Amino acid sequence: MKPLNPFALTVSVPPHRHCGTTVRDRMLTILVAMLPAAVMASMTFGMPAIRVMALSMATAVLAEMACDYFMDRETDVNDFHAFTVGLSFAFLLPASAPWWLVAFGSAASIVLGKMAFGPLGGSPFCAPLVGWAICRISWPSFMDIDASMLGMDLTYPLAQLKNFGLDAVQITDTRQLFLGKQLGGLGAIQIAGVLLGGMLLVMRKHVSSIIPVGVIGGVALTAFLFNWIDPSMYASPAFHLLTGSTLFGAFFLATDGPSSPNRQIPMLLFGLLVGALIVIIRIYGIYPDGVPFAILLANLFTPALERIRPKPFGRR
Amino acid sequence: MNTRSTHTATAELTLNRHCPLVTCGQKIERGERIATASDPGMGDIHAPFPGSVEHVDPYRIRIAREGGETVDPAILHDLGGQELLARLRELGADLPAREQVDILILNGVDEEPGLLSRRTLLAEKLETLRTGASALVRGYKPAEVTLAVPGGVKESLPDIAVKVVSDQYPQGLDPLVAKAVTGQEAPDNTLVVGLETVFHAGMVMETGLPVMETMVTVDNSARLISLGSPVGEILTSDGLTIHDGDRIVLGGVLRGTAAASPSQGVDRATTAVSLIRNPTPVAMDAACVGCGECVRRCPARLDPAMITSYAEFGQYEKAEAEAVDVCFECGLCGFFCIARRPMLQYIRLAKHELAKAKAQSGEETQP
Ligand code: SF4
Ligand code: SF4
Repeated sequence: MKPLNPFALTVSVPPHRHCGTTVRDRMLTILVAMLPAAVMASMTFGMPAIRVMALSMATAVLAEMACDYFMDRETDVNDFHAFTVGLSFAFLLPASAPWWLVAFGSAASIVLGKMAFGPLGGSPFCAPLVGWAICRISWPSFMDIDASMLGMDLTYPLAQLKNFGLDAVQITDTRQLFLGKQLGGLGAIQIAGVLLGGMLLVMRKHVSSIIPVGVIGGVALTAFLFNWIDPSMYASPAFHLLTGSTLFGAFFLATDGPSSPNRQIPMLLFGLLVGALIVIIRIYGIYPDGVPFAILLANLFTPALERIRPKPFGRR
Repeated sequence: MNTRSTHTATAELTLNRHCPLVTCGQKIERGERIATASDPGMGDIHAPFPGSVEHVDPYRIRIAREGGETVDPAILHDLGGQELLARLRELGADLPAREQVDILILNGVDEEPGLLSRRTLLAEKLETLRTGASALVRGYKPAEVTLAVPGGVKESLPDIAVKVVSDQYPQGLDPLVAKAVTGQEAPDNTLVVGLETVFHAGMVMETGLPVMETMVTVDNSARLISLGSPVGEILTSDGLTIHDGDRIVLGGVLRGTAAASPSQGVDRATTAVSLIRNPTPVAMDAACVGCGECVRRCPARLDPAMITSYAEFGQYEKAEAEAVDVCFECGLCGFFCIARRPMLQYIRLAKHELAKAKAQSGEETQP
């Protein structure tokens, strides 16, 4: 018998065309954007850095799959989000981090920073920072970059600034900082690589430039103010921008979709807030690098910032 | 079955809140009314050719072509005001029901990129448009009439101001055209009517017969196609072969509806028929990932992520509080959603449920 309809039509709701970008593309692009910094980190710190990054990503993926299994949900690890969380977490660790710390922190990032709030999109915090904060508070000595990297001949400029003041900072050449010749989170301090990746994300329109611009502006402005008050005590804006995870935070962490505002003006304010908090924490806080806590704090302000919104079309 | 001829052997009229007036097997004349609209601003539906009714269900009426007569033309030139409008609706023009219209805007901008029907109407059917426009002016009695056209169009209508509007999507959509013309968002007592409706009214005025054809974009040109023509046949007679898994879309790619079957007919609102083949991501049942793309792109300054998430969980009052009624269904949120959520579908669902709830509680205000 001849079939009544020789073909079956696809019936779907509009739109019938799509911009083509999917969650998976976005996450893959983020991973690609992190590649330059990852390569630089492997060159600077060698095998230990590769070990931390690989372990962190593997744990993140396994943790997500385990959560999905226990929550009886179909897993979406194939959207690569867990990889970006794992790698971002690794980027914030010292290369010497012990394996259990990496595994615990990475799993905590996924379980408490993402899965506890449902699938991707529910979390009010930038996931890798949740794991980082837990580890930083629980095992300060292992997370302390200076203490754990005694074997290296590089120095940790932010800790020198915190503990001994501006005069003690040994690296003053911005080019050295730019090329990652400093201590800090293993990937986050690869400034040149991070900047390259950040540019890629902005240019491919995977992140809007507003938040990074806000963060950089906030850091520059606040640091400039302090520096202007007393240049012998407070570091210059360039120092704050090129040390620690400022740029990594600006391009990769603060721009995390669900935990940051969605509209232009709130995004700018959010960025400025992160930037100002970074410098304030670095100056007054007990942690040398204020970036993760600054972003976590600013995440708390997201719902408030989101209330700044224009009137809908035609409403008076 | 020979379907390659210009006259299709069957026609399928899609019912969209219309009540069928015919039964299976009934013989009908060309132009006979076969369904009435139950919506105050919609026109009735008529047979595009004489024949017999093959199939009736709540969604469609199918008729098979047979020999037969045409109904007698209606006499319309002594009518005016609401009476004329009501008569035009009976003859198949979709004229919105409005008590008072101060500014009437005839929208000659094709709504979506790739659509050509309004441009073609302006280029080829100016005389009919003129008749239609004067009928609308007689009906609605507006103080001002404006024709909105995209840049580069030279044609104009007598006594009607012309406003050039950008044809960058979504600027051709009715609410944005109203803003471009009046300088105000959602101005009061302003009515925007699409050019195809003006054309339908013009045809009715000229012939006295109901609307039986419309201007449809197929491929890279637009032509008059008789209502009810099966979309599959339109495409195959254009030399296309339909394959398994293809989509036939009535209207533009951002807002149009996918045909349920190749025999579905063209209706008056159809501005284009196209075959979409590329394996673009079809919307999925996915949760919002909070990327914010839709919020930044929405021309109505809404938060489509919140609206659709509320609709997804049946919290329609909250969607209403997020001003879902302001949405003019441009479809950009769904186009840019990286989670590929069926955004427009959720929005339409919320609007539909809210309208239904209002109707049930008897609070529906007169439009
Ligand atoms: S369809 Fe989406 S983008 Fe367009 S107006 Fe409505 S909510 Fe906004
Ligand atoms: S574009 Fe889609 S995933 Fe992104 S915020 Fe809007 S609804 Fe959510």
